[in-house]
Amino acid sequence: MKLSRSIISLITAATFLTALGLQADTIRYQARPGSKVKLDGTSTMHDWTVQSGIISGFIEFDSNFPLDTSKPSTDLKVTPKVEVTIPVSSIKSDKSLMDEVMHDAMKMKDYPKIEYALKEMKPKDRKAGDPLQFDTKGDLTIAGVKKEIDMVVTMEPIAPDKLKVTGSKTVKMTDFGIKPPAPAIGLGLIKTGDDVKVTFDWMTARKDANKTASAQ
Amino acid sequence: MELNRRNFLGSFSSVMMLMGGVAINRAEDKPQEKERYAGPPVNCAVIGCGQWGREIITELGRQSRANLVAICDSYPAYLKRGGNAAPKAQKVADYRQTLENKDVHAVVVATPTHLHKQIVLDALQAGKHVYCEAPLAHTVEDARAIAKAAAGAKKVNFQSGLQQRSDPEIIHILNFVRAGAAGTPVMTRSQYHKKNSWRRSSPNPDFEKTLNWRLSKESSVGLVGEMGIHNIDAAGWFMNRRATAVSGFGSTLLWNDGRDVPDTIQTIVDYGKGPRLVYDATLANSFDSDYDVFYGTDATVMLRDRRGGMFKEADSPQLGWEVYARKETFFKEVGIVLAANATKLAAQGDNPVIDTQTNTQGSLFYAMEAFLTNTDLVRTGVNDFTSSFGSDDEKALVEYLADVLKGRKPAADWKEGYVATVTAIKAHEAIMKSSRIELSDELFNIA
Repeated sequence: MKLSRSIISLITAATFLTALGLQADTIRYQARPGSKVKLDGTSTMHDWTVQSGIISGFIEFDSNFPLDTSKPSTDLKVTPKVEVTIPVSSIKSDKSLMDEVMHDAMKMKDYPKIEYALKEMKPKDRKAGDPLQFDTKGDLTIAGVKKEIDMVVTMEPIAPDKLKVTGSKTVKMTDFGIKPPAPAIGLGLIKTGDDVKVTFDWMTARKDANKTASAQ
Repeated sequence: MELNRRNFLGSFSSVMMLMGGVAINRAEDKPQEKERYAGPPVNCAVIGCGQWGREIITELGRQSRANLVAICDSYPAYLKRGGNAAPKAQKVADYRQTLENKDVHAVVVATPTHLHKQIVLDALQAGKHVYCEAPLAHTVEDARAIAKAAAGAKKVNFQSGLQQRSDPEIIHILNFVRAGAAGTPVMTRSQYHKKNSWRRSSPNPDFEKTLNWRLSKESSVGLVGEMGIHNIDAAGWFMNRRATAVSGFGSTLLWNDGRDVPDTIQTIVDYGKGPRLVYDATLANSFDSDYDVFYGTDATVMLRDRRGGMFKEADSPQLGWEVYARKETFFKEVGIVLAANATKLAAQGDNPVIDTQTNTQGSLFYAMEAFLTNTDLVRTGVNDFTSSFGSDDEKALVEYLADVLKGRKPAADWKEGYVATVTAIKAHEAIMKSSRIELSDELFNIA
């Protein structure tokens, strides 16, 4: 009886240590303040820009992930887990009327967040010293409509534990079920163009994955 | 109904009255057109249901973003009258009940001036967004306490009740003056002339003093503090200067009913080297009502009933845009109309009259609109930030809110409210002493 208890304790301890070892290989970068996402569009009157200072979410990858810019690119063994959220209400211009039009068009009441989840990630060919660039595919959800998009993103270690992720993608409002707004403002109808260019600078900082998970 | 400067400027009802009709707006009477979703409504409470408080209740009822959930007054008759315009709002006598109500996001403090301080401090402590009527307080100490609390409350919106600061029509005129269209400032002259007693009727002697707080020097900052504060603020705002000294005189010439606050005053406010504001107010004569005149070396700008007219000097340089300007008889002379959309130029810029297309409301409407919009900006900003990053990094949150508030609607903040309040309090002090008072920099420092 005593022997079997010891064996069980040993197995439990070994399992726990193994689990710890596996989790230690997971590196997590958590979103930090200081990000910016910008949406540039057109209209019959003038070009317009709205932006948000909030991009929340995280990046999780294993310790083999090629973050060292001094080395040439290598294939990824495991696709990182990336989830991003932007509150629609945080996207603003400097005109409250325009914000109302935009938020209404994005169906903020029913879908208060823009979401993105990474599905595939492949390093672009690069030489040692070149920026870290990746071809990505992921699901972008706006106004409740999910659509796969591809995008080139750049990762830049800006401090020992800080990573800046940048990228740009032009999307069509109509692909997400959004009718380009045509508000009756001022001298008449303003018609907005279907294309919107999304540009982002996403600031993240490294966190212990286990601690981060328990904190959420 | 007493018609004073504040409600004349601020009230759509007043305009309707002058046209021979009566505007009746209940707080629940919302516009019928389909509105865009602009986020959840701002649940408001009005503390103080006197005449001005009821004007505010009416204006809030016309704001699509407002949801008036509570009104408060310790005087049952005022609470009842306030309730007529807001039958669905909770009615309470003690303001602390309002602050304990978690459903209340924002409060408008429209009590007698000398009661503002504790209510505002408690409201900010309770995390409520605050609109505090002008003047902020009846003493410099109370005004400073309010300003300090407002400055320290980073997660709420504070607005002082200088409603002209939110009025797009007056901002439009300001831009002309600030751009130098009138030349170098020479002086400003403003007046408030009404013939009424300022006395409220009281059902019994107990309430006599409470209701007539404006007539007692213990609780009142007099005509210059209650009415002239808007002119003092406008003069400093238009000339972009802060007052440096005040002088004044006052007498009780008609209403010798036991009051110890003059019914007629004259005051001069210095704004550094050169330009001064000359302000007079009386409750004994109504001739020419109320207006502001800004005199410059090239032109005079008259602001009356929210309309601006510019009268150029014969030797002033041509500015170019006059050829597009509409000219009409303005008061006694033909002047250039300074109104949004009065020229074709406004429609040719990058921002063609989107926010100023119909400035047909009163100043109070725009002040309430700004308060609600800016409150929503702060509230949404705090929620977006803390739900994304937590609430540990207050410095980052404050930086984020500063960025968000670049899109705020124009409104008087605690600084502008404090400067105008202190200047008006000191002007009243000068009037009561028939003296001149220098205004030191320290006076305007809230530290």
